[in-house]
Amino acid sequence: MELFIKGIGCISPQLTYDNPDFLPGIKKYAGNRMMCIEPDYAPYFDAGSLRRMSRVVKFSAAAALIALKDSGITQLDAITTGTGYGLLENSEKFLKSMAESTGPVLSPTSFIQSTHNTVGATIALITGCNAHNNTFSHKGFSFESALIDARLMVAEGATHVLVGAHDEISEKTFALMEKLDVFRNNNEADINAYEKGSSGIVAGEGAAFFILSDKKGESDYGVLMDNIIFYHPENAIEVKQHIEAFLEKNKLALENIDVVISGINGDAKEDAVSHEINHLLFAHQTIVLFKHLCGEYMTASSFGFWLAAKILLAQQVPETVILKNRHRKPGYILLYNVFQNDHSLMLFKAC
Amino acid sequence: MEELMATLKKEIFEQLNLQHVKPEDIAYDQPLFVEGLGLDSIDALELIVLLQQKYGIKLANPAEGPKIFYSIKTMAEYITAHKKQ
Repeated sequence: MELFIKGIGCISPQLTYDNPDFLPGIKKYAGNRMMCIEPDYAPYFDAGSLRRMSRVVKFSAAAALIALKDSGITQLDAITTGTGYGLLENSEKFLKSMAESTGPVLSPTSFIQSTHNTVGATIALITGCNAHNNTFSHKGFSFESALIDARLMVAEGATHVLVGAHDEISEKTFALMEKLDVFRNNNEADINAYEKGSSGIVAGEGAAFFILSDKKGESDYGVLMDNIIFYHPENAIEVKQHIEAFLEKNKLALENIDVVISGINGDAKEDAVSHEINHLLFAHQTIVLFKHLCGEYMTASSFGFWLAAKILLAQQVPETVILKNRHRKPGYILLYNVFQNDHSLMLFKAC
Repeated sequence: MEELMATLKKEIFEQLNLQHVKPEDIAYDQPLFVEGLGLDSIDALELIVLLQQKYGIKLANPAEGPKIFYSIKTMAEYITAHKKQ
């Protein structure tokens, strides 16, 4: 089933909201961590609600409200979200109070707001949406699972579905992961460094939300044609087979694809299959990267989705994301993401 | 009593992270919930925890909650009465 993209909202380490320009320049990060550029939340939430919201709840719910406003839709038939890490800051706060407490009772707020579905629930409360509300936490498949749920909801009769993903990187989790040597330093958002690759990733975070519908409109961004996931393929040949079967299922050939958005994250070992796929399959497509803009996290593919929607509407690919330019008009876009050997494909087309 | 109410007000503002009102804008006898400070059920849990953590008072009968937590004054009266026992 094809879904029309009616509204988008993204809060990320780049200025992806309140910005009429489409990535004309990018914010460069010299360290090993990219953090969201957060808006002034006063226009989004009343002060009474803000007092209880942690950082990820604020930037995620705001991204959802931006998507809703962008679409002009007020009535949602389903809310479906994905998150890999969940709400780290509140979980850490609650665990810390547990560890330090000497009494029998603990402050409940951080516990109540530490569950993975807090963001989906907060959006439901703000929008007054009592409909289907589901949150998926499946590591590198979290956003993709939410997308599948959205597609199923529309197949069952929902007209407008809010689908999105969010992940934060908190101080404590970042410090712990840093000790495990998973990050690399001195990234300056140089796209060529991502092609060359080194050891480790740059930590990222963000929230991206979308309004999807099976009803075509005049100002849609584009169409999500299909999406699939495949778990731990053995090698690039198996990935190639998945991509070819996926395109065939959607009655497309490789040469129909104009732009490939690749989830290359700059870690040479993890990117090896993606590089091989680019070499094997995409010699004639414009290759676009996005993790030099948002960093790596379990739901980073939602940033890739945002990028695809923007490219489809603008009908141009910003220079800042192009790895290989084959100067093709973006009619069909294939997003191929990998997170720790969780592989996913999303197929888009222009309206 | 005045001193206890002042301390209690400070503790409530800290515990509930109240940012949308100033402490001086809240009178001791003003309702905390709904039309007053606009607190809700999660805040009620926080106030129960506050009573237990700061004053060692465990709410024996939850049905008394609305009366005890009506205002800062009623909370202070409850604390005073139960601390003496």
